[in-house]
Amino acid sequence: MIDVARIDHWAASGSGPLHRASTLSKILFLLLVVAAAVTARHPAPLAAGYLLLLAAAAAAGLPWLRMVALSFYAALFAVLYGISLRGGAWMYALMILKAITPAYAMLTLIVSTPYPKIFSLISALLPEILAAGLYMTYRTFFILLDMMDNFIAAIRLRGGFSPGSLYKNSANISKGIGMLLVRAVERATRLYAVMAVRGYSGKMAETRAEGFRGPDWLPLGAGVFVLMLVILWK
Amino acid sequence: MTHMHIPDGILPVWLWVSGFIVMAIALGIGLFRLRSMDMKKKIPLLGAVSAAMLVAMSLEILPIAYHINLSVVAGILLGPALGFVAAFIANLILALVGHGGITVIGLNTILLGSEAVLGHTLFYLFKKILPVFWRAAAATVITLFVTTIMLIGIVAASDLNPEFFTHAAEHGAAFKGQISVSTFAIMALSLGSIGWIVEAAITGAVVRFISQVKPDLLVHVLHGNKAQGGPREGTQ
Repeated sequence: MIDVARIDHWAASGSGPLHRASTLSKILFLLLVVAAAVTARHPAPLAAGYLLLLAAAAAAGLPWLRMVALSFYAALFAVLYGISLRGGAWMYALMILKAITPAYAMLTLIVSTPYPKIFSLISALLPEILAAGLYMTYRTFFILLDMMDNFIAAIRLRGGFSPGSLYKNSANISKGIGMLLVRAVERATRLYAVMAVRGYSGKMAETRAEGFRGPDWLPLGAGVFVLMLVILWK
Repeated sequence: MTHMHIPDGILPVWLWVSGFIVMAIALGIGLFRLRSMDMKKKIPLLGAVSAAMLVAMSLEILPIAYHINLSVVAGILLGPALGFVAAFIANLILALVGHGGITVIGLNTILLGSEAVLGHTLFYLFKKILPVFWRAAAATVITLFVTTIMLIGIVAASDLNPEFFTHAAEHGAAFKGQISVSTFAIMALSLGSIGWIVEAAITGAVVRFISQVKPDLLVHVLHGNKAQGGPREGTQ
């Protein structure tokens, strides 16, 4: 289960140095760590880089332990892929670290930056329809999650889930998804109409990029350090 | 099985860069077709369907991280061009929550976008042959089979970068830097086929429900506001 609602809460409620750093610096940090993972040929520098990211997150007051658990979600997929490879422990260690290190960097970004800020930056590079679609999806996603919770509670209360009855459960879930889709379209249409009345003209939010700030040294320094570790490792 | 959960740094650079290039070309073509779209109608629908895809993807239905995608539903409701855009948005947001790598956004969008395009095409091809439920279900099974083959093709093409393993000897690892495509294919096709049936049943039921409750959602007109006789991109 992707816990987007909880991630959104962490991103909006923190006030540590990573929360105060600019979105641009954190996206650069992420790209530096991804570059490190792509170029890594040895697990040791990535392991050191992962520990460094962990320390940075803990120092910045992020929920670092929860982030560790979430980053290992990526390792599951790496292992599934790795099953089809002929390799030994060294290769699996490298593969898992290649998965969890960028995943941790991504979590550092999203746990310390509200989505509207990330989307503002991305939207500056995207065509209008993609930017508008991205925002509308983000808004509708939380409405839909809420509706899904209510739907599941309602269907349980009315005896809609029967253990062992796969056909009945599937039919109810399918109807639920259909109903959610129809209601989500109606709600999104209303939301869009309200935005249009309030002057929406194609741009969902300001797409002005923030400049660099003092706390940017932390994400930029961490990203450069991880990449240098991988490049300089012999 | 057609959404790759492969993290960053696993696939060779040439492959994921090619994925981004093909995705950009496909998105460019899609956006060109959407240039005079009725934004007021389609952006909310795009948001709702993309969000529904994300919610569906967050529900694990098999204990191997298998989830439904609703990509065929997206294709049927949005049409091929907007369906491809929905696939891109869903993949971008998934990558932003650490579900799949950033470098595989291109390849994942191609796979998921192909499901939307192919699903839409088959759904309307079967129009005169099958009732709504079976049309959507058959379109889903065929689409997922084709995109699983595409996925196996991508994995076979990756053949993991040989340089990836250059230090193997130093560390005593007893392996050759080759992927067992047959093992991967057996896994993808056997586990995938269970998923195709589940996804086909859900897609069929969802589309049938929509056809009964709000049939106008199945009639997507991209340029309806431009002119009464304007071009239509597929109707039920």
